[in-house]
Amino acid sequence: MASGGNNRSRLLLVILLVTSLFLITLDLRGVSLTNSSRSLTQSILAPVQRVFSSAFSPVGNFFADVKNFGKTKAELKDVQSQNEKLKSQIIINEDIKGQLKQLHATLNLAGRGGYTVVAARVIGRGSASTFSQTITIDAGTSSGVTKDMTVIAGAGLVGVIKSATSSSAIVLLMSDPSFRIGVRIAGTQSAGVLLGQGDSSYLLQLLDPAGSISVGEVLVSLGSDNARPFVPGIPVGRVTGVDHTSASLTQQATVIGLTNLDNVDVVSVITKNAKQDPKNALVPTPQPTVTVYVTPVPLPVLPSPGVSTSGSPSPMPSATLAKK
Amino acid sequence: MRSARIISTTAFLLLIFVIQESLIARINFPISGFSLYIAVLMGLISFEDRDGAIVTGFIGGLILDLSPTIDAPLGQWALVMTAMGYLFSVNRETIGDFATRPAALIFFVALGSATSLFLFLFSGLMLGENNGAVSKIALTVAGNSLWTVLFSPLILPVLSKLRALSLSSRDRK
Repeated sequence: MASGGNNRSRLLLVILLVTSLFLITLDLRGVSLTNSSRSLTQSILAPVQRVFSSAFSPVGNFFADVKNFGKTKAELKDVQSQNEKLKSQIIINEDIKGQLKQLHATLNLAGRGGYTVVAARVIGRGSASTFSQTITIDAGTSSGVTKDMTVIAGAGLVGVIKSATSSSAIVLLMSDPSFRIGVRIAGTQSAGVLLGQGDSSYLLQLLDPAGSISVGEVLVSLGSDNARPFVPGIPVGRVTGVDHTSASLTQQATVIGLTNLDNVDVVSVITKNAKQDPKNALVPTPQPTVTVYVTPVPLPVLPSPGVSTSGSPSPMPSATLAKK
Repeated sequence: MRSARIISTTAFLLLIFVIQESLIARINFPISGFSLYIAVLMGLISFEDRDGAIVTGFIGGLILDLSPTIDAPLGQWALVMTAMGYLFSVNRETIGDFATRPAALIFFVALGSATSLFLFLFSGLMLGENNGAVSKIALTVAGNSLWTVLFSPLILPVLSKLRALSLSSRDRK
């Protein structure tokens, strides 16, 4: 009997493994079963995600905010329950203020570039089980968002629309290992390809073997045909290190993204490219810093024991302010 | 595994899938994310007999394949979870009854989650997928395993009770 049970289990295992392989083969051969089934799932999940997003928005930072909870005392129950309500209201308000700030920065960037954009809120993120780095936004085809559109935030590029339903869309983040974008260095105009690495750092490969890269230079998107998937001129990242040791023909550099993809809550999808290429107009300029020059003055000689000191104030070092 | 139990298991896994995609995925866990869905699936597999574990693994994997954020061919998770169901059930028999050894069950569920993620990555590599930096992958798997160990003592008793409620008198025999 045990042998019969084992045989049945093995047969079941083989059937299900073959079924899985059959599905994989269908998918890899381009049968639209996958896309349609995932689009259906996304259509079903989007309203639920939207509800969860508005109801549990502060929960996302639960572990960071956990220290604010758990201070209840029995004798102050009524007052504290009121206090807790106010606290949660403050957290929600802070969350909304943060989102407004991000929206302002995003629209500011889009406005400077002359792009037509659709603003959207992030309602979901790719879970730990998927390994692909994506976010779900609450704007879809009904808002004019379609596949292969550029997505930006206040600081620069976020990613590209991977798929869209009527009310939501999935954005492939620029940190995803499969992400590739043509870029040019804002200063030298050398072109290259930026590769996602799965985290906040990126790899830049220059196309021009004679081109040069320096630390601190800003990269902007090169743009694609008909601005799909990428519009030109979007700030992408900043060079943090140049690989001089690599034996490859082209130069390589490490780049850090300008947008913090972990904290992005509000994004804009570029639905229409600018009439003119913004060139380097969107490259972030360094803020003026105040430098204090201090002129050293020799310290007064200490009086010898037994010699009286005068009441005049001792000279102080003089300081001047200058703006760089 | 009877058809009624297949339907109830599928419905339950769909519910957990919606919670995972809508709520859990939004939480910024320190170290790395937590997959409640994989932890629950591993828990369910651990309570089943060999046939049940294989079928539950296949259904669970197929539901996970429907995730709109996934960038892998449909059926890859089903393949991995079916294999996990089999591996889990075979090794489970060597350990014995989990009811008397809850710590072993937690360890098994966490190990199963990590193994399934590695199997998924390995199968992805064979299919030519780019999974990114090894350090990031290691952090993701380690973080997920850590959170699975921490949350399993809360999840597994609930799963065990739900399973006891869902069993018909015929299943109990």
